[in-house]
Amino acid sequence: MVLEATMICIDNSEWMRNGDYSPCRFQAQADAVNLICGAKTQSNPENTVGILTMAGRGVRVLTTPTTDLGKILACMHDVEMGGEMNMAAGIQVAQLALKHRQNKNQQQRIIVFAGSPVKYDKRVLEVIGKTLKKNSVALDIVNFGEEDGRKPEKLEALLSAVNNNDSSHIVHIPPGPNALSDVLISTPVLNGEGGGSDLPAAAGGNDFDFGVDPNLDPELALALRVSMEEERARQEAAAKRAAEESARQEKVEEPSSNSQDATMVDSADDRASEASGNNTDPVAITLSMQTPGHNDPSVHDVDMSEATHEEEELAIALQMSMKDESDMSKVLEDQSFVSSVLASLPGVDPNDPSVKDLLASLQGQSESEQKKKEDEPPNDEK
Amino acid sequence: MSAESASAIQRSQVDLVDFVDWSGVECLNQNSSHSLPNALKQGYREDDGLNLESDADEQLLIYIPFTQVVKLYSVVVQGPEEEGPKTVKLFSNKEHMGFSNVNDFPPSDTAILSLDNLKGKPVGLKYVKFQNVRSLTIFIEDNQSGSDITKVQKIALFGTTVETTDMKGLKKIEDH
Repeated sequence: MVLEATMICIDNSEWMRNGDYSPCRFQAQADAVNLICGAKTQSNPENTVGILTMAGRGVRVLTTPTTDLGKILACMHDVEMGGEMNMAAGIQVAQLALKHRQNKNQQQRIIVFAGSPVKYDKRVLEVIGKTLKKNSVALDIVNFGEEDGRKPEKLEALLSAVNNNDSSHIVHIPPGPNALSDVLISTPVLNGEGGGSDLPAAAGGNDFDFGVDPNLDPELALALRVSMEEERARQEAAAKRAAEESARQEKVEEPSSNSQDATMVDSADDRASEASGNNTDPVAITLSMQTPGHNDPSVHDVDMSEATHEEEELAIALQMSMKDESDMSKVLEDQSFVSSVLASLPGVDPNDPSVKDLLASLQGQSESEQKKKEDEPPNDEK
Repeated sequence: MSAESASAIQRSQVDLVDFVDWSGVECLNQNSSHSLPNALKQGYREDDGLNLESDADEQLLIYIPFTQVVKLYSVVVQGPEEEGPKTVKLFSNKEHMGFSNVNDFPPSDTAILSLDNLKGKPVGLKYVKFQNVRSLTIFIEDNQSGSDITKVQKIALFGTTVETTDMKGLKKIEDH
């Protein structure tokens, strides 16, 4: 989902008439280009793609980077074959086109289709590569078509000059029964760096935990780290208590419950199981069972429709406050946080008597107060 | 470019690192393992082991936007004797420059760093050119010894803020 501006450099030289890729090299290349354009615009709607031809009467830009797929396809139609490919000039013009892109926040990428022989020296290509790297432009090379001895070597040299943190790739596609575009699907050219699907916990391309760069957003990174630690501590305590409290399951009744708390505990359990949307988790049930032991509001079988981060935090805070062994400092620091979070939660009225008492119980943390809560009239908020 | 750095520091200067808009900070041609926060961020820049290093060649282009409009008085650039920067050009309020157009504009100020500067002596700037700075671009053109890699240990900017509204700090007034 990287925001990217891409320039695709097409080889439309005479070598492209060859039929070793079906129906001819040029057509296979055109299909591949269409595929790439589609993939780029799909992965991020703000991505832009532009096309230029390297052969013909000289390097010509067909479209500057645009989000309009139709325009790109239309341009591909009018391309004529002829002449010789000028790769160095093509890459440099592509770099220029990217420099003048509209959205400066986009990463720059050039994709080169190298179908004809490369007549440049390795050194020239390395210099070009270095300039690209210096301006943080990534380069993908698709080596297909004509195979002379020096070509892969030269292209590899170009790649190593450009490559910065594995953002640039080279793909060698020999002629064969498979279409060029089919082979490209499985390559990093189309898949980007992180591969297809990401887990919520995985960070595509980032090295940091939680996918948040501490340099960019230190408060968020810190908040995420703190919540993960609280979560872990809670999970350990929960596992311990699940074992203890399993015997007490028969005593479970369902007195008045604050359904808000119910949903919050549910959502916290969702996070605990690390499976989104799994509300009937046995862990969730055991966790909810153990709370009556402390006269907490027990859990209805309320299906969570949303599990917001704040609600999970609140649940964690509640859990910890109910524990007798809970750390006093943790409760205190959660208390103000809890009240502020409660105020901002939709559907929770801070003036509600049950909520107020809940807050009071957090502060007091005494058995008697909890008993008082049990005697409250039920309050259904959802 | 004058060198009354001592008097500049006395005039209630603030280290502008607090006013840097980190989401927009960019550095071209940096080595990804030795990146800009190593030189700019509090804590990292005091650590001599952490440097900002250049990658493909010895030039570096650093773009620093600020959260408010600032006035810039002086700059400290620290680096090793050999690979530390030599010619440093500063451009104010020019967004998104590249290496190709960096020489198209006259810089707001140019500093040739001496070994003293590299040890931490501040470089005073042309005050009048930096009255209204929203963003600063630092172009490090070459280094002391002419080696292929330029290393920078610390970059500190000193100045004062002009009182502009920080949009992120605007809070709604609560009705009671």
